[in-house]
Amino acid sequence: MLPEFDLLMPRTLAEALQWLSEDGPNITPLAGGTDLIPDMRAGSHRPRVMMDISRLDELRGIRVEDGYLVVGAAVTIAELLDDLLVHQHASVLRQAAAVMANPLVRNRATVGGNLVNASPAADTATPLLALAGEVELVSQQGSRQMALEGFFTSPGGTVRRPDELLSSVRCPLPPSSAKGVYRKLALRKAGAVSVVSVAAVLSHDGGGQCDGARIALGAVAPTPIRAHAAEAALCGQSLTSDSIAVAARLAAEATCCIDDVRASAAYRSRVTEVLTRRALDQAANG
Amino acid sequence: MEAKVVSFTVNGRGHVVALAPNLTLLRALRDLGYTDIKNGCEKGDCGACAVLLDGKAVNSCLVLAWQAEGAQIVTDAGLGTMDVPHPIQEAFADSGAVQCGYCTPGMIISAKALLDRNLDPTDEEICEAMAGNLCRCTGYTQVVEAVHMAAQKMQEASDDTRR
Amino acid sequence: MTHAVKPLPPVELPPLRQIGKPLRRVDAMGKAVGQTVFAGDYTMPNMLHGKVFRSSEPSARIKRLDATKARELPGVVCILTAADLPDAKLTTDMPGQTGQKRRAGTDAPVLASDRVRYVGEPIALVAAETLDIAERALELIDIEYEMLAGVFDPLEAMRPGAPVVHEPDNIVAHWKIRKGDIEAGFARADRIVQNTFRSQFVDHAYLEPESGVAWVDDQSVINIRVSTQVVEHFRSIARAVGVPHNRIRVRGTMAGGRFGGKEDITVEIYLALLAKHTGRPVRLVYTREESIQAHSKRHPVIITHRTGVKEDGRITAAEIEAVADAGAYPYLSTYVALYIAVQGCGPYRVDNVSVDSKAVATNNPFTSAMRGFGAPQACLVYEQHMDEIAKALGMDPFELRRANYIRTGESISTGQVIESAAWLEETATRALAALGEKTPDRGPVKVGQGFASYLKSYGRIMWFHDTSHAWVGVEQDGTVVVRCGVPDLGGGNVNSLCQIAAEVLGVPLQEVTVHSTDSAVTPLAGTTTATRQLYMSGNAVFQAATAVRDVLLDRACKYFEEPPEALDLSESKVFVKNDPSQSLPLSDLVKMCASEGLQLSNLALFAAPFTDPLDPESGQGRIFPDFTFGAHAAEVAVDTETGEITLLKSVACHDVGRAINPASVVGQIVGGSAMGIGQALMEDIRVERGIIRAPSLSEYLIPTSKDLPMTKTIILESGTGLGPFGAKGIGEPALTPAAPAVANAVADAIGARIYDLPLTPEKVLAAVDRVDGES
Repeated sequence: MLPEFDLLMPRTLAEALQWLSEDGPNITPLAGGTDLIPDMRAGSHRPRVMMDISRLDELRGIRVEDGYLVVGAAVTIAELLDDLLVHQHASVLRQAAAVMANPLVRNRATVGGNLVNASPAADTATPLLALAGEVELVSQQGSRQMALEGFFTSPGGTVRRPDELLSSVRCPLPPSSAKGVYRKLALRKAGAVSVVSVAAVLSHDGGGQCDGARIALGAVAPTPIRAHAAEAALCGQSLTSDSIAVAARLAAEATCCIDDVRASAAYRSRVTEVLTRRALDQAANG
Repeated sequence: MEAKVVSFTVNGRGHVVALAPNLTLLRALRDLGYTDIKNGCEKGDCGACAVLLDGKAVNSCLVLAWQAEGAQIVTDAGLGTMDVPHPIQEAFADSGAVQCGYCTPGMIISAKALLDRNLDPTDEEICEAMAGNLCRCTGYTQVVEAVHMAAQKMQEASDDTRR
Repeated sequence: MTHAVKPLPPVELPPLRQIGKPLRRVDAMGKAVGQTVFAGDYTMPNMLHGKVFRSSEPSARIKRLDATKARELPGVVCILTAADLPDAKLTTDMPGQTGQKRRAGTDAPVLASDRVRYVGEPIALVAAETLDIAERALELIDIEYEMLAGVFDPLEAMRPGAPVVHEPDNIVAHWKIRKGDIEAGFARADRIVQNTFRSQFVDHAYLEPESGVAWVDDQSVINIRVSTQVVEHFRSIARAVGVPHNRIRVRGTMAGGRFGGKEDITVEIYLALLAKHTGRPVRLVYTREESIQAHSKRHPVIITHRTGVKEDGRITAAEIEAVADAGAYPYLSTYVALYIAVQGCGPYRVDNVSVDSKAVATNNPFTSAMRGFGAPQACLVYEQHMDEIAKALGMDPFELRRANYIRTGESISTGQVIESAAWLEETATRALAALGEKTPDRGPVKVGQGFASYLKSYGRIMWFHDTSHAWVGVEQDGTVVVRCGVPDLGGGNVNSLCQIAAEVLGVPLQEVTVHSTDSAVTPLAGTTTATRQLYMSGNAVFQAATAVRDVLLDRACKYFEEPPEALDLSESKVFVKNDPSQSLPLSDLVKMCASEGLQLSNLALFAAPFTDPLDPESGQGRIFPDFTFGAHAAEVAVDTETGEITLLKSVACHDVGRAINPASVVGQIVGGSAMGIGQALMEDIRVERGIIRAPSLSEYLIPTSKDLPMTKTIILESGTGLGPFGAKGIGEPALTPAAPAVANAVADAIGARIYDLPLTPEKVLAAVDRVDGES
């Protein structure tokens, strides 16, 4: 059984924000529930009040707006997979969605929930980092946009204030030359948490010179991280197997400290290098 | 924690029931007698509790009953009966895809969701669609065969109605 | 390497009408449409909800146990502790049959009183008006422990001075086999190869957690509806509850999978106690987490093989030392250790053998039966070891095996002679041929192929004096009823009984109804374990149906004025074989018999052959009724940069004697294979200092549809089995060679052996490094 809680069912975003402004610290927003409900059952999360935001229209929909691809926080992973705009502008996100959990979970799990849950292994976090994603946090005080990179603070921790809701995530439409690749290693082919995940988005100037590189790593640090040194090593370079190998090694150096039942930190670091190299290779040549 | 009256439709039958907020749809439906929905893990790992919620296959253990307000829910038992089975149910029974039967209702829900979108799936597409439904008896080979068989039956049926 | 497929010897199988057809199982449609009611689906008026309070410590003394606050919680109806059940023990051995070899004083108490030996050990039972209240009551039970030293590794547990789990020492079973002259055998060897392998704790992971409902009826009989493999546990339950045997009725249900995990008593004893003490119906359903904590695991083993071989591959001597982690209570570990000993040499002819197989108590979760009962662990080791011997000799792995495969008429290590067909070459060559050409490597992705042969007993250990009863009758409309106590775990046992009755009585399968698994009203058929039900209850049904057939034909002889051999039964008619136009509907014949007072039903007893126990010092003697033989082959792709393994092809070939229902046989084989593959590649309960680190199906990963290729199954039928129509058993055999076939394929791909399971990417990468380091 789940522990006892009260459940708020706001009909509008305004109503939801009103409740959060009044009692935010006691309220846990609930969307797909695919992480929260198991956590509550396990007793690791005992909220006094839950608030269902899965049906708020303001948090739904995928659109292109002002040069950004905007994804509502309550968009499900399955909806990402089916969406033509995501397919066109954020293939790396679609690739990650395709290997996240399993189809039954993907029909409930939401993008916002996956980000706010802030697992180091969150499958949507790395592609969105590699797409220079920004999150929009809204409250009765207004809204703020911030880079996704600054959003995560610790395993399970984000900068979201108790009175705020994550309403959407957006990424700038990538240049036409950009190509993104997602690679994930898990202990099973479906329904398994990443041991390592890598998302890479590369763009080039047409002459083989890399003019944009973003590499994000999952499950290798307390939060999903960018591999900045690796990115810097590629920018302005031609995309050769040598430059890619250097970047991959730098990505491996960016990993730290997750040493758990699934794999050791040393293994994770080593596989990060392999997956990064492969992702970059495919983005550059595939 | 107060109960609230929630209404939804299960297999075409309307329900208006007072439910506590911390009740999952799985437990609410089983309490209402829909015991074809099985409880295998209560955390979304096994798929034995899968139902169609407004046409989408979901784990009912990961939905709060209140979240199903106004929803149309279909369980395996709502697809067919012993006397008039759904083609998917018939195909599962005929191709050895049913052993202990505990995962079967959830499997059939996932197969239904797949075949509603794609009546000519490949082996890979079937395995992807069933990836949330664990089975410990069959090793899945006969399940894949059953879904192919069902697809063919359903295609023939839809060809017949078009003619 | 290609090997010519060995032709099969000529086999004449009589043509049959119902047997050998992949008919829709009698239980299939009910399950497909969600009509089948499982144990946890039952509800009773005025029903209470049960929960179990369990130990959080692996080794401790209970200093204080206080349920006062829990008892005061409104809605709590009953709390039972050991104080309420003086000296109640869980005995899951079959009373009157197997008690002789287990060490006294090691039975688990129903509820722990002063000492807990593993995390999850039951301490108290709660019954409450709602599940919610029962769960809250658990939190209100006060307990204080005094921690005691624990032991968590079976090798450490055998050392002097190790903490003792059960006095006087931790070795709870030790089996010896001594055959021939081991020293002379090694002296004759050109080479001696030694390897040690380890395996992990494995969970059954059936989809249906343990569940049941109990109530006391108007004859004071405690009725228990439960998902179990053994309705005969009613006797142990009666003893523990303190009522006569005839006051416990176990009504089994269709099971959501069991695989050995519901062979020992699970919830039924708690249900009986709570129902008796409250006088009200009680339901108890484990959560997945509780299921994993509460039921047995497959024994982890440490097995060392030291084998002498000639340069031509012939084995001259085999010395085997096996240690199995029995966990905190032995349960069936004694017999698992025996299976490991007897089947330790595999399907190979070895004249000089020394085997020591021990089960050792620790403060880990208890281990007991799981599909194969030690034989898969033995196979895992002997088949990987055979590949290592082949490598040492520079020999083809199949040729090495061929030089040593046991043949009909030869004896295994206990001296028991194989009497049925031993189609080892026949199955291995077919599995390898079906595997086909090796898929080419792609860059760092290396492809490997491997296979494994096996032998696996079916039927119980012969000195257990195994029996099964079945009742078959014909109704006046010509339909057939089978009553047989068999619990169907999902493998299709009851359907096979129906197909057998349909064959013998000449009716279509849908004309047969079966009533099964009720200890009070269906004739007792024994446990659904040890791959015994088709053999035992299949023969019992065959006998009963044949007796009814004889009555029918005898009466028909008079009607047609023909001798019995001139008549046959088919399609619900009796007819003259060489003039089928002369026929009579079965229903008419039945009415004729009934009006004359002839008996149209029969209760049959099938008794397996009995023997004396093995000699305790030499382990010599006949132990099993017969064995099934076969082979699995696998092809894997190993990413040598990440260690990831992808199973590309999987083939299984078994001689099943006779396939009663080929679709069910395929189901057993592919399902068994999947379970073995899971053990090879991913499954691991991960016990650290007695604590399970994979407490749910999020961490305990079993294969999904995306982890397994479509498995190709080749069924051979030698017709030489002891079951009805020459059938052998396939339930446990189907799993036995699956894991080593995969492990051998991985070793072939990377050129290195990994000595402990599962083959995680990290271990694979370490092995790849070792090879790179050597080259």
